[in-house]
Amino acid sequence: MTTIAVARPGESKLKDLFKPGTVGKYTVKNRIKYGACCVSNYNGRDGTITPRELARVRVIAGTGCGMITNQGAYPDPWGEGKAYFRQVAIHDDKFLPQFEMIARYIHDAGAMAMQQILHAGRYGGIDLGYCIQPSVVPQTLPHFRPPREMTKEQIAVTVKQHADAAKRAIRAGFDATEITSFMGYLLANFNSRFTNQRTDEYGGSVQNRGRFMRELIDAIKQATPDNPLSVRLNGAELMDRWGGNTQDESFELMQQAVDCGVDMISVTVGWQEAPESSFGRDVAPGYWNFLSEKAKKMFPNVLVAFGNRLPDPAMADQCVRDNIFDYWEVCRPLLADPEMIHKAAEDRMEEVRPCIGSLNCLSRLFRDLPYTCTMNPMLGHEVEPEYHVTEATEKKRVMVIGAGPAGMEAAITARKRGHSVTVFDKADKIGGNLAAYAANDLARPADLQSVIDYYGVMAKKLGVEVRLNTEANAKFMRSVLHEYDACIVAAGARTDLESFKYMPGSELLIDALEVAHGMKTVGKRVVMIGGGMIGLTISEFLQKAGHEVTVVEKEKRVGGDIMPTFKWRHTAWVDELGIKTVCSAQLVKVTAEGATVATAKGGEQFIPCENVIVSSPRRANHDLFYEFQWMIDELHGGGDATVPRGLDAAIQEGYKLGVRI
Amino acid sequence: MNAIVEFGGFGEMADWQAMLDRNRELFAAMDEGSRIGIVSREASGILPGKHLEGVQRAAEVDMLAWQVQGGGMQAVVERFSGMAMAKVDLLLVADAEALAAARADLAGEALTTIKKSIRRGNIMFFVFRNKAQLQDAGYEDFLESLGLAFLGACR
Repeated sequence: MTTIAVARPGESKLKDLFKPGTVGKYTVKNRIKYGACCVSNYNGRDGTITPRELARVRVIAGTGCGMITNQGAYPDPWGEGKAYFRQVAIHDDKFLPQFEMIARYIHDAGAMAMQQILHAGRYGGIDLGYCIQPSVVPQTLPHFRPPREMTKEQIAVTVKQHADAAKRAIRAGFDATEITSFMGYLLANFNSRFTNQRTDEYGGSVQNRGRFMRELIDAIKQATPDNPLSVRLNGAELMDRWGGNTQDESFELMQQAVDCGVDMISVTVGWQEAPESSFGRDVAPGYWNFLSEKAKKMFPNVLVAFGNRLPDPAMADQCVRDNIFDYWEVCRPLLADPEMIHKAAEDRMEEVRPCIGSLNCLSRLFRDLPYTCTMNPMLGHEVEPEYHVTEATEKKRVMVIGAGPAGMEAAITARKRGHSVTVFDKADKIGGNLAAYAANDLARPADLQSVIDYYGVMAKKLGVEVRLNTEANAKFMRSVLHEYDACIVAAGARTDLESFKYMPGSELLIDALEVAHGMKTVGKRVVMIGGGMIGLTISEFLQKAGHEVTVVEKEKRVGGDIMPTFKWRHTAWVDELGIKTVCSAQLVKVTAEGATVATAKGGEQFIPCENVIVSSPRRANHDLFYEFQWMIDELHGGGDATVPRGLDAAIQEGYKLGVRI
Repeated sequence: MNAIVEFGGFGEMADWQAMLDRNRELFAAMDEGSRIGIVSREASGILPGKHLEGVQRAAEVDMLAWQVQGGGMQAVVERFSGMAMAKVDLLLVADAEALAAARADLAGEALTTIKKSIRRGNIMFFVFRNKAQLQDAGYEDFLESLGLAFLGACR
C-alpha cells in the first residue's frame, strides 16, 4: 500500500521553502539548512563531546531542517584552531563514537548530516597564548592572542588536517562537510588582504590569497570524493576600511571556490572585529539578502545557502522563490524555538518563540561560558530532566502577580503541566515594563513587542486566565483567600525614588517608568539619572524626538548592565545623537531651574533643565511577599521582583518556577 | 635604515596634556609604564592593506606617546620606527582627517572624537598585549571609553 504524504497547511503556504532539494547525491526534504552558527561550549576542555552536547544535538536533529550542520570542530591536535573554551575536536579517531551518535540522530530525524570543520586562525589558540595566521597582523581586539606566521610546511600540515577531519566525519556517518571563513577564521585570514600580507605564493593577489582555500577544497574533495563540500565565505567582510577585502574581491574568491568544484557556497557577512553590525538587533531582517542574490546570479549552477539576519520562514520562502538562495541557513531562531520549522509547517507561526537578536548566546561565548538563549530557558539544559515540562503530580490553582515576561513565562509553563493558572496585572495590557521598553527602543521595537505578542497568543491558546486592571494587594488577596494553592510574585521592579527622599527638590523628580509608559511628558531639556539600559533607552528615544538629554551616571561609564554585544550600539547612539554624559556623579539637588550633581572631582556641577528623570537605582517589588506570606500555601518570587535585572533573567526564572511548582 | 619623515601634525603637547589631565580618571588604574602610541597613517606608511609592513618597518616618524609616569598620563613626542622599538601596548594609526579632528577637539571631547574616528575607519587600532595583561595593567576603562569591545565582538 502506498502512503501519500499530506502537506501540512503551512507547507502549502510556504511551498518553496518546504519543497525537496538535492545536494550531490542526497535528497534533502526541504530547503532549510541548520547553520553551525554557534559553538555551544558544552563539551570537554579536550574537545570531547559530552552528554549535555548530545542531548542538545538530539533537539537540533529534530528541528525539521532538511540539512543539519553540526557545530564547528577544530582539526588540529595542538588546539591552534580552537577558538572557544569547550569547542569540539575532530583531530583523532578517539572522538568518532560521539560523532557517530550525532550523525545517527540527524539521520533518524530524516535530515542530511553535515559536519563543519572550524580552524579559527586569528581567533584560535585559546589554550595556547598565541594564534596562527598567514601574516603576523596584530590583533585589534584584546580578547584574542598574539599572532605567529604560518610557514609553508604548517600550511601543508593544516590542509592535510582538514582533509583528515573531513574523512573522519564521513567515516562517522556524516554525508557532507563544510569549511568556514565565518567570521574571520583561518580561511578568511588567508583570503583577506587585512590578515594576509605574505609575499610568497599564498599572498599578494586575490588569486594567491585564495590558494590556501583552493588547496583545502582540493584536499577535502580528494579525501571524500563522493560527499558534498560546502564552503562558508564572506560576501562582505566589513573590514574594507581597515584594508580588508572589497565586496568585489570577496566574490572573486567565491568564483575560485566554485571553479574548484564546491557543491555549496554559504554566503556570510562580517568579521568579529568588524566595526559594524552584521546580525544584531539594529540590522533590519533581509538587509544582507543582496549579497546572496549576487552570489546566486554569479553562480547559478552552484547551491547557495544564506541566512544572516533573516529570521522569518515567510521571508525565506520568498527568497527561495525569487532565486536569492537555494537553502535558508538558519540557526539562532532555532535556538530560541527549536519547534519553529514545525510550527511554520503547521501554519502556527504566531506560536513561535521569537529570536530577538539579543545575541546573549554570543555574549556568553566570549566569557568562555556555555551559550544560552534569552528567549529559550531550556537551551543547554536538555540533558536535565528537571528542566523538562512534565505533567504535574498534583494539579494546583496558581495565581501569578504580574504579566511581564517572568510572570507570563511562569504562567504558560505551569499551565502546560496541567495547573490552573490566573495572571493578575494592574495594567490594561500584558507585557509589564517590557512594553514600555519596546516603545522606546531605537533598534527594532517590533522585536521586543513580538515577545509580548507571543505570551498573549500562548496564554490564550493554553487557557491561562488573564485578569487585567487588577491590582494585587492585601485587600485583594483577602478577597480571593483559599481560591488558590500557590502564588508567584512577578511584580517586577520600580524606580527607587525613596532613595532621594531627603534630597532638596525630590518632589520634582519624575519616574523613568512613567515616561517610558507615556504617562508623563517632559520639557525640552532633561537630565536622566542613571545611564543603565533603561536610562539610556529612554534618553535615546527622547533625544531623537528633539529633547536635549544629559545622562548622569554614578559609575565611571554608562551602559554597565547592557550585554557586551549590544553595549557598543548604545554607546554609539549616545555619540551619534549627541547625548551628553556626566559620569562618576550623583544627584544632590533639584530646582525648577535644573539639577545639581556632585562630581568625582569633589565639586558640584549645575545642569540647567526643565525635568529630572530617575531611572536608577531600581528596587524589587518585595512588598507583596511580606503581605501574602500568611495568606497562601505556597509563595514564590521571580524576575525583577526578586532582583532587578534583564529580560533573560526574567524568562529563565519564570520558566524555572513554572516547571517546578 | 628607515626613511626619516618629519611630521608636525600633533600640535601643541600642552593641549594634549591638558586633555589627558581632564580625563585622568580613565587612566587612574593604569600601571606605571603603560604606553599608548599614536602615529600618522600617511607619515608612517602604515596604510590599510599594507599595515603589517608599516607596523614592522615604518618610516621613522614622530609618535605621540601617552605614558603613565609619576602617577599620571603624560603626553610626549618620540620617534617611531616600527613596533619592535616603540614598546607600546596599543597603537592608533590615524589618518590626517582623524588627527585634525582630534586636535580641534582637544579642549573638548577629544576622546569621543577619537572613538568616532576608530568606528569610521579613520583610525586603525592594534593591541600588543592580551586581554589579561591589559586588564591587569588597568586598561579596561580606557578601552571601553573608546568603544572597543574588550571581549570578542560578534554583532
